[in-house]
Amino acid sequence: MSANYEPNIVAFLCNWCSYAGADLAGTSRVQYPPNIQVIRVMCTGRVNPLYVMNALQQGADGVLVSGCHPGDCHYMEGNYYARRRLGMLKDLLEFVGVDPRRFHMSWVSASEGHKWKEVVEKTVEDAKEAGPFEGFRRRQIDW
Amino acid sequence: MDLDKLRKTAAEVVAREDVRYLLGWKKGTFGYRIAPGFVEDAESAAELIFSPLCTANLATYLTLTEKPPLPRGQEPDDRKVAVMVKGCDSRAVTQLLIEKGIERESVVIIGCPCPGVVDHELLAEKYPETEETAELKWSDKGFLLLQNGEETEIARDELLAEKCRLCRYPNPVVSDIMVGEPVETWEPDDDQGVAEVEGKNAEVRWEYWQEQFSNCLRCYSCRNVCPLCYCEDCILDRLNPTWIYRSVNFSENTAFNLARAFHLAGRCIECGECERVCPANIPLGKLNRKLAREVREKYGFEPGVDPEAEPFQASYKPDDPEEFIL
Repeated sequence: MSANYEPNIVAFLCNWCSYAGADLAGTSRVQYPPNIQVIRVMCTGRVNPLYVMNALQQGADGVLVSGCHPGDCHYMEGNYYARRRLGMLKDLLEFVGVDPRRFHMSWVSASEGHKWKEVVEKTVEDAKEAGPFEGFRRRQIDW
Repeated sequence: MDLDKLRKTAAEVVAREDVRYLLGWKKGTFGYRIAPGFVEDAESAAELIFSPLCTANLATYLTLTEKPPLPRGQEPDDRKVAVMVKGCDSRAVTQLLIEKGIERESVVIIGCPCPGVVDHELLAEKYPETEETAELKWSDKGFLLLQNGEETEIARDELLAEKCRLCRYPNPVVSDIMVGEPVETWEPDDDQGVAEVEGKNAEVRWEYWQEQFSNCLRCYSCRNVCPLCYCEDCILDRLNPTWIYRSVNFSENTAFNLARAFHLAGRCIECGECERVCPANIPLGKLNRKLAREVREKYGFEPGVDPEAEPFQASYKPDDPEEFIL
């Protein structure tokens, strides 16, 4: 791993809280690492664990899923389901030896621009420590 | 296990007008083989057996039955299917009921309390398989092998399958008819397989699974044999979008195995069929048992026990653990 290694991080943000929170961080000129590639989803309950796996296969070094705080979900309960599923996914990934620092989940509400910054900093720092994730890359076929 | 009683019960059940056929075990063509029996009349009911060789989980066939389109004017056959279940198989049936994969009215469950079945591979290794069909019975000490006219006593611990060592439900949790007396529950062993993998550090674990998953042929036997993998449109068969490519390489194999294990999180009833049929001997049971344990310990949910329960991944509790959340 070179000294100036920059991790690639895919973030699945829920439309109603975390995406707005990240937007707020932007409009408030909060400085945070630019390693995040944001994918907006309508709810964290929509995040299929296969998305996380696919992101890791296609070149992500870390994945972040962020949504509304429990009880604040726009769809009433989507984030509760996500918490269960992704918690299980985290256990599974850890069991097969994927560094637990590569997958994070967080609750960031629309007003928490500063928390978003902290979450991103933590995620990027963890992914940096874990290093590039080469083992799981999908083999590219050049026809 | 009284075979006469079993056969008599089976004959009575198939004679019922509302029963289409009965799923049971019968002798295979040679050695220790056991074949699934689709019994439609009293005559074939006399071939049924229940022995320590009956490892197969027949609940698979409940959802595997093809439903071809019917000619116009023809009514579908709505009669019940009777199925013989061991303790673990009955949990598969219960889990299917939880998920509404089958309806309670559409099955007749014949419970067979099971003192533990054998590991076929171990058996064939220690007592070589011959062409003649052999019999294995439960005895006081363990198993009694009848082969080529000879009787051999085998200690229970010697041949007991791993899933049975860890079994907590030897008696069917749901049944319409019980054949035989309930067996005494035994103390399950500690799950050393999972603990061993957990004890290693992350890199060694990754290498361990890399080695295992690299052997995967992607034959999908584990999916096909699983009583709970019954989606009509399986993610592995879907081409658009292709979540998991069909190419056989480490990345795709890992994705496939993880997806398979994950889709069974909170649903796997640990019948061990996937591991038994795997031609590459991938320890799939470890993945399943690990997740089952997490579900049990962290979320307090046990699949296939209470038919009234909500499916694990389609329900939540407000106080689910969230210590992993930033």
